[in-house]
Amino acid sequence: MSEIVGPGCQRGIPGNLEMPLAVERLPNGNTLIADAGDEAGFGSEIIEVNSVGSIVWNYNEGLRFAHSGRRLKNGNTLITDTTNNRLIEVHPDKRIVMNSDEWGRGTGHLSDGSHLHYPNEAFELGDGTFLVTDRNNDRCIQVDRNGKVIWSFEKELHHPHHANVLPNGNILIADSDGNRILEVNRKKEIIWSYGDGSKETLWWPRGALRMRNGNTVITDSKNHRILEVTREGKRVWTFQTDHVDKFYITSVTEQGTFLIASTDGHHQVIEVDRTGNIVWLFRNYRRPAPIYARLTNGFFKEVGEDGIPRHWVLATRLSEGGGRLIWDYENKPYPCPGLDYDRPGGLFLQQNIAVKAGETYRVGAEIKTIEVQGVACLHIDFYDALGGSLYRDITEMPSGEYFTGTNDWSHDLFEVKVPQQATFAQIRLAINHSGKVFIRNLMMNPM
Amino acid sequence: MAMDREISEKRKRQCLKWVEISKGIVRQAFERFKPEELGITWTGGKDSTLTLWIIRQVCEEKKLPLPKTMIIGEGDEFLEIEEFVERIKKEWNVPLEVCRNEDVLKAAHYKLNAAVKVRDLNDRNRAELERIGFDEEEFPFEAESYVGNHLMKTVVFNEFLERNKIKGIFQGLRWDEHPARFNDEYFEYKEGGYLMPEHTRIRPILHFTEKDLWDTYAAFKIPYCSLYEKGYRSLGAKTTSLISMEGVPAWEQDLENTEERAGRRQDKEKAMERMRKLGYM
Repeated sequence: MSEIVGPGCQRGIPGNLEMPLAVERLPNGNTLIADAGDEAGFGSEIIEVNSVGSIVWNYNEGLRFAHSGRRLKNGNTLITDTTNNRLIEVHPDKRIVMNSDEWGRGTGHLSDGSHLHYPNEAFELGDGTFLVTDRNNDRCIQVDRNGKVIWSFEKELHHPHHANVLPNGNILIADSDGNRILEVNRKKEIIWSYGDGSKETLWWPRGALRMRNGNTVITDSKNHRILEVTREGKRVWTFQTDHVDKFYITSVTEQGTFLIASTDGHHQVIEVDRTGNIVWLFRNYRRPAPIYARLTNGFFKEVGEDGIPRHWVLATRLSEGGGRLIWDYENKPYPCPGLDYDRPGGLFLQQNIAVKAGETYRVGAEIKTIEVQGVACLHIDFYDALGGSLYRDITEMPSGEYFTGTNDWSHDLFEVKVPQQATFAQIRLAINHSGKVFIRNLMMNPM
Repeated sequence: MAMDREISEKRKRQCLKWVEISKGIVRQAFERFKPEELGITWTGGKDSTLTLWIIRQVCEEKKLPLPKTMIIGEGDEFLEIEEFVERIKKEWNVPLEVCRNEDVLKAAHYKLNAAVKVRDLNDRNRAELERIGFDEEEFPFEAESYVGNHLMKTVVFNEFLERNKIKGIFQGLRWDEHPARFNDEYFEYKEGGYLMPEHTRIRPILHFTEKDLWDTYAAFKIPYCSLYEKGYRSLGAKTTSLISMEGVPAWEQDLENTEERAGRRQDKEKAMERMRKLGYM
């Protein structure tokens, strides 16, 4: 029997802003936002909103986990369609006028024989070429509209997410998994950097911009703060919230305010001034997945029409286009579900459950793994009133055992205390890298 | 046995301070509840034995007998723990009740891993299974499974409270033993509910770190179970407790940088690095 205490909404409703990643203020005063979509892979779109929050334009055809939308000089919009590994240019009437899939005679190959892999950001340069942060290829490239690679920088990069050109022609790169910001010149020399690689200085920085005063604004994502640092590396301004909000990209407006996309942290775009006041905000979020009164179908006996256990969500947003739900039909007395995964990123089977703040719950299940090269585990994420996770990083979330390799069925039992700010829990079976994980007899009760 | 490890006078004073804080909590408990409304949970392990030692001092000062003390018999105990418990029970005059879910043990024919048929259980245990959402026909008898843990520990605990009309129950939990404990309070009121009696959990030694605890054992010659000398750091059921470092006494291990409940979780740090590769979350 299922009892829903917080209903979900239909997935993919245009304008529902699930995960804002890139944001920019347009010359007409409107704001262009890239929405990466919901956890199940629906609803990725580019939206343009005016100052009172009305959506005046959107593009959502076929996008998967789109990370950026940038308005070009010609009025078109350049989109990094991340999970689809492509770059497209869209006319205001929604015609695609350039598609990287057509490069290399329809193979999508660039002139150097490579293919875009999880492109995150793209900016137009003065000569009409594009600067693309090609994340999973660990590089930043300049390409023309025909896929000709004009310049490339890949030295020492670890999953860069953002790169833009400075007035002097140098490139400022956010090397996210390297926990650094780099300024490189056209000769590919690193001429400035910030961050010593430690999480304390920068933790998964998603973007950096050079301001007119010569300082650099850094979006220090997992430290949920925005920093302004001088050329000498001195921190002169910080914007930080007391809650976890994984700011993704910050841009600076003509007025000197900062536009911040706050991902699926709080599902909103905020504009803050120098004193940290929020002077503009756009939020249009409804949660698609319902919240159940208690763990529902934890024994996975009921199967939905889509072949997924009923009341569960297969979260593919981060699965980079791979992964699937599988069933172990040999399992007795009835089949049990599992996740089969084969690439970077991760795949989750999850459910939202109402919990009481301060209460301790015991969570347990039986888990089996086959050749897991990364990690498989059962964990719990807690969400605040605005629908943001309370944890900065997945490894901070309360979890059972971290399984690697091949393990026969074993009991996984752990306790979690619900944080005071939590409004609901999301229980997840997770896997990353590759392998298979199966689950059965999942239970969760207050102690 | 008791430790003959030398503890400096300064460290001893620190340990005494932690003990005094704990005694303060215990005194508060005796002010809030009548002596007969209080109970103690004991396992024979280091945390609950320290708690018992502290409660005993307050009882001596108040000239009161020790409150009723429960120990859970899961059917999978270490002989060393049984012997230790038996000895301390006599020496400290502990009013001990060995509590076990006899109905489940019987249905499992007192054999680990035996399949327990739900229909063989009594009404109470069947109701408990329904309450936690277990609706299978059978389960294996294992103390560390969800169902086993619930029936063998939680149900037995609740029944002890009910049977003795206990309103305040002492527990030997510490903040540093597990992340889920970080925000625990010295007194936690639990509302009553279906199959769960209303009660308050009292945790006098929350503030002790694992190192504080062992230094206190050494400073005051508190007796402990010999398994800790063999390298165990955390004791549970026999089949699931693992030695952290063979032959290295618990107090000589790297208490601050390694997991207390190690064993299966020892490689968690490495696994965390792999997990972190996910990036986005």
